Formats: sequence, structure tokens, C-alpha cells
Amino acid sequence: MRILLVEDDRLLGDGLKAGLTQSGYAVDWLRDGEAAVAALSTETFAAVVLDLGLPKRDGLSVLQWLRGRHDATPVLILTARDQLEDKVRGLDLGADDYVLKPFDLDEIAARLRALVRRAHGHPEPVLTLGEIELNPAARTVTRSGEPVELTPREFDLLHLLLQNAGRVLTRRVLEEQLYTWRDAVDSNALEVHIHHLRRKLGNEMIRTVRGVGYMAAAA
Amino acid sequence: MNDAAGYSLRRRLVWLLTGTVAAIWLLSVLWVYQRAHHEADELLDNQLTQVGETLLAIVAGGEVEHFVKELHEHARHNPVPIAFEVWLNKDGEARRLVISPGHAGFETGTTPGFSEHTHQGARWRFYAVQDDDAEYRVVVGQSHAARERLAREVGLSLLLPAMLALPLMALAVWWVVSRALRPVDAVARQVGALDAQALTPLDESAPLPNEIAPLRSALNALIRRVSEAFDNERRFTADAAHELRTPLAALKVQAQVALRAQTDDSRQHALTQVIGGVDRMTHLVEQLLTLARVDPARQELAPQPLDPAALVKEVCAELLLQAQRQGQSLAVEAAPGCTIAVTPAWLQIALRNLVDNALRYAGDGAHIEVRLTRSGSGCTLSVADDGPGVAPELRGRLTARFVRGETDAEGCGLGLSIAARVAALSHAQLEFGEGLPHAGGGYGFAATLRFSDAAIHG
Repeated sequence: MRILLVEDDRLLGDGLKAGLTQSGYAVDWLRDGEAAVAALSTETFAAVVLDLGLPKRDGLSVLQWLRGRHDATPVLILTARDQLEDKVRGLDLGADDYVLKPFDLDEIAARLRALVRRAHGHPEPVLTLGEIELNPAARTVTRSGEPVELTPREFDLLHLLLQNAGRVLTRRVLEEQLYTWRDAVDSNALEVHIHHLRRKLGNEMIRTVRGVGYMAAAA
Repeated sequence: MNDAAGYSLRRRLVWLLTGTVAAIWLLSVLWVYQRAHHEADELLDNQLTQVGETLLAIVAGGEVEHFVKELHEHARHNPVPIAFEVWLNKDGEARRLVISPGHAGFETGTTPGFSEHTHQGARWRFYAVQDDDAEYRVVVGQSHAARERLAREVGLSLLLPAMLALPLMALAVWWVVSRALRPVDAVARQVGALDAQALTPLDESAPLPNEIAPLRSALNALIRRVSEAFDNERRFTADAAHELRTPLAALKVQAQVALRAQTDDSRQHALTQVIGGVDRMTHLVEQLLTLARVDPARQELAPQPLDPAALVKEVCAELLLQAQRQGQSLAVEAAPGCTIAVTPAWLQIALRNLVDNALRYAGDGAHIEVRLTRSGSGCTLSVADDGPGVAPELRGRLTARFVRGETDAEGCGLGLSIAARVAALSHAQLEFGEGLPHAGGGYGFAATLRFSDAAIHG
């Protein structure tokens, strides 16, 4: 799942990027508000982790701009200010969650999972489709109750497909959501992952919509 | 007000006023008493003379028989306050002719005029007078006790109202003093009601006597200064907490990343970052402590006239190594002959921060120039670099705590606040402007400390 991290502090940004990558996210890290606006205006992210005190353009202003264009991407705010009014203001401007520094890496990861889940209309933590069950927190997948071994990339791809079950996802959207700018995307890498998933979970589960993309649907 | 050394102004005023007035009063009453006594004496002496002369006139006129009869008749109703005798001196023999009623007669003959003798065991005052051929002689007398009683009565009649008036006067003094001190009470109440958490100046619209108004103004000035310092302190604590949270978050996250790292490389990277984070927090904490140390209350040495040339060279020498490590050049030009009034330790702190600021933000390979020059009646110490510079509209905010320019370089944003603080406490101006020209065609950054001559403030 691809996350945009906007944090000007070099040390914290570096740590968050590494930590969230460990938790299975594809993380793009930007260090100022204007770069964040530029990225958000052209690309799709599963969620944004936004620091408030940013150079060039303040975090709250980025948030305001984002909500102004009716972009519902979940936003998790990081802040060092513990005054209640700051918190209220952030939430009023459309933030989905709010974390005070210093925080726990696990907490950030868990909150991000919850945000993404809610954004896709899945309030329950486990995604199910037919006999497949995917637990984003534990990063486990079962088929008829039996555990299925998936690589991290396969897991993320399945996660995306299940979140959008019944909807067709284009190649571009899938690639955008799976890979960061740094990742070199092999032209047929997506096909390879789809192939592996079908092999492990059954052919019927992932349908190919020719010329458009892929869709997860109950068999 | 309740401690041992304190005293009540009201009580002291009442005591002083009442005591002083009472003492003066008493002295004047004594004087009045004396005068009254003396006047009474004179009056009584006049009375004696008159009675004597009148008697003599009567007896010399041959009215003796009739007079004696009348006198005795009269004395039955009114006791006569003065005793007298009339003597007839005929053919060398003196004979008592008349004697005042209820009177046994004087033992001795007396010489004409006033005299005093003991008569019947008491002191008497006599007056004797005789006619021209010394035939008749009249002696009148009055006991001292009677005279004294009269004089005392006169004196006391004057003294008594004065004595009664004294407590009344004390009450009046108490009332007047209390009334006059009412504004003091009011101010004391206002000060007592002050809230240490939210210091607000006293209401200056209420009229106050000239003696107390300056106290209130001074108090208000103090309250404003204290509450400003309070606000500053509060804001500083909030800012500092805010500034400490980000590096703390970074440390925690990097440590967690190191714990979970699957490869040695990523663990190594995270741990290196942790150490970098600790270094950064150390710098921040040191800067916070420096800022706290530049406090007039903690000033161990008073500002003293100083030629800063040697100090400037010394500080630059200390920082030269850091400059060389970053491939920067640090040039110093410190002309001797300036004298400024400054605490040397503070000047050192300010200069070190200005140079450190240039080293941090001017970028690798930058040139930095430190110049100490005489200018007009004072001295100018400037640190200029050929780095990216700071836009004029941002320069005004640079001395705010935790504010840094648009820069990627690491720093905690306190260096210029510290320099500004030293400047403010050393009667110097800290100005920011354009530094040395850089390759890109623009100018770097320059910070200038302007000290006026030591003679002015020294």
C-alpha cells in the first residue's frame, strides 16, 4: 500500500520511511508542503502522513487544499503541538487522525491500517472474499481457514484487490499503489504477481478485464 | 507588614502627633498656670493695699465707732477674707483700736509696706500703712494658704478643659490619620488581591495622593516587567517542549526500526541515525542552556570596558577546525583600539553563535569573514558569509526562538536568538543584511553587532 509521508525533519522522515516500509507500506517521502501538493495533485496514495510544521507550505494548508479539491485520501497528522485547539483545528480541516510526537511506530502503522480500511468502507479489520480471508494487521491470508504463504508484494496486491472487490482496478492505479517512485517497475511484474496469486488462491478469484485491468470477485 | 521589623504607619503617626501636641499642650498649660498664679498674687496684693488704704482713710476720718459696728454687723453674714487691725499711737503708746471679726489679733507690729510672717503656725502676708503723722496705723493680712487656694482655683479652672480636650484630640488625630491613609489601604488591598498567575497592573485611573502615586506607577512598571518575563518563560517552555518532541520522535522511530531491521545494513543505518539524533538533541539542549545562562540575574561579572580584538581572534581560532572540516574558509580581521562595555563571556557566546550560524548555513566551501572595526563613536563586529543568504522579508523573524531560514541544514534555530539576547543586554544592536557576493550573483548573509563606545554606557 502506497503512503505519502510529508515530514521536514530529516531524521524522523528517514526513520518513518524505514519503519513503515518494514510494516509493508510503499512509502514516498517529501520534505515540504509545496512538493506534497504537487505529488498529491498528480498521484494516488492510500494515505498521507502529514507533519504540521512544514517549510514552504504549512501542513494544515496542504490539508485544506486537499479537502478543497474533494480528495478523500485519508490523512494522518503528526504534530509536536499538544494544545487541544491545534488538534481540533486539524480535525476540523479534514484530518482523519492525529498523532502527537513522539509516537510508537506500531501505533502509526495500526492507525494507518484503520484509516485505509475505513476509507474503503471496511470497518472490520479482516477482509473476506469467498473462502479467502486477509488480515492486514497480521499480514496473513487464509483460504478455507488454511494459511497461505504470500510474498509482501503479493500480499499488497491482494490487499488492494480485496479492498476494491467488485471494482475494476487499472494497471496504472495498481502500479501506482504498489510501487514507490524509487521502485523500478518491470513491465510485466504485475502479471507475474497476479499469476502467482491465482496459483495460490484459485484462478476464479482474480478476473482479467481485457484492456482495462483486474478485479477481485467471489467465485 | 506583620513581621517583627514592620510597624504601623497609622499608629506611629497617631502616637507622634498626639505625643507632640500633648507635650506642647502641657508646657503651655504649665505656663498658663504660672501666669495665673502670678496674676492672682498681684490681684490679691492690690486688694490688700486697697483695703489697708481705705481702712486708714476711714479711721483717720473719725468714723471708727460707726465703722466697727457696721463691720461686725456685716461679718455676721459674710466671712471677711482679709484680717486687719487698726492701731492708735497716742502719747508714745500704741493701742489696738479695731480688730477684724473672728480674729485674735496679730502678735507683732509690722513695718509699713508688704511683709511676711508666721502667724498662728501659718505663713501670712501683711500690708501695713499709717497716716502722715503716724497716729493711726492699719495692718491687713491674709494667710498664704488662702491666697494659694485662690491662685490654684484660677489655674485649675484653666487647666481642666485642656486636660479633657487631650483624649478628644487624640481621637481626632486617629480619625484624620486614618482618613489620610485610606488610599494606602486601598493600594495595599489591590496589591494583596493580585493573582500571581495572571498579573494585571493596578487601575491607574483611580486618583491617588502625590506621595503614593509614584509607588503605584513603580509597582505597575514592575508588574508589567514581571508578567512579560512570565509570558516569555511560559512561551519558551512551550516552544522548547515542541522542539524537543520531533527529535525524540525521530530517536524512538529510528530505534524501533533498528530493532526490527532484517538486514545488518538497515540496522546499521538506523543506529547511525540514532547517534546523529542524540548529537542533535545534545546541541539543542546546550543551546537552550546557553540561552538560559544569558540572563542578567546570573551575570557573574558586570560589563566592563574591553578591547574585544583578542577575544574575537580566540573564538575564531576555536571554530577554525570545524570550518576546515567543512571545506570553508574563516578569515578574521580584528583591529585593536575599540573599547566596549560588555561581559566578556557573553560576547564570546554571541560571537561563537554568529560564526557557528555561518558555518552551519553558508554551505560547504563557503567563505566567512569576521571583522571588528571602529565605526563612529563605537565598534562594529560583523560575521559575513557568501552562502545562499536570507531573503529580506525573512530577516526580521530570525531572532525568534526556533525559527530557521528556508534551509536544509541542521540547526535548532536558537543561535541568533542567543546573539540577540546578548546584544539586548549589552546595549548593542544586532542587524542582519547582505553578506559577501557569491558565485550565483547574489549575496550571502551578514550579522552585525553594533556596540556604542564604552564611555557612553561604561
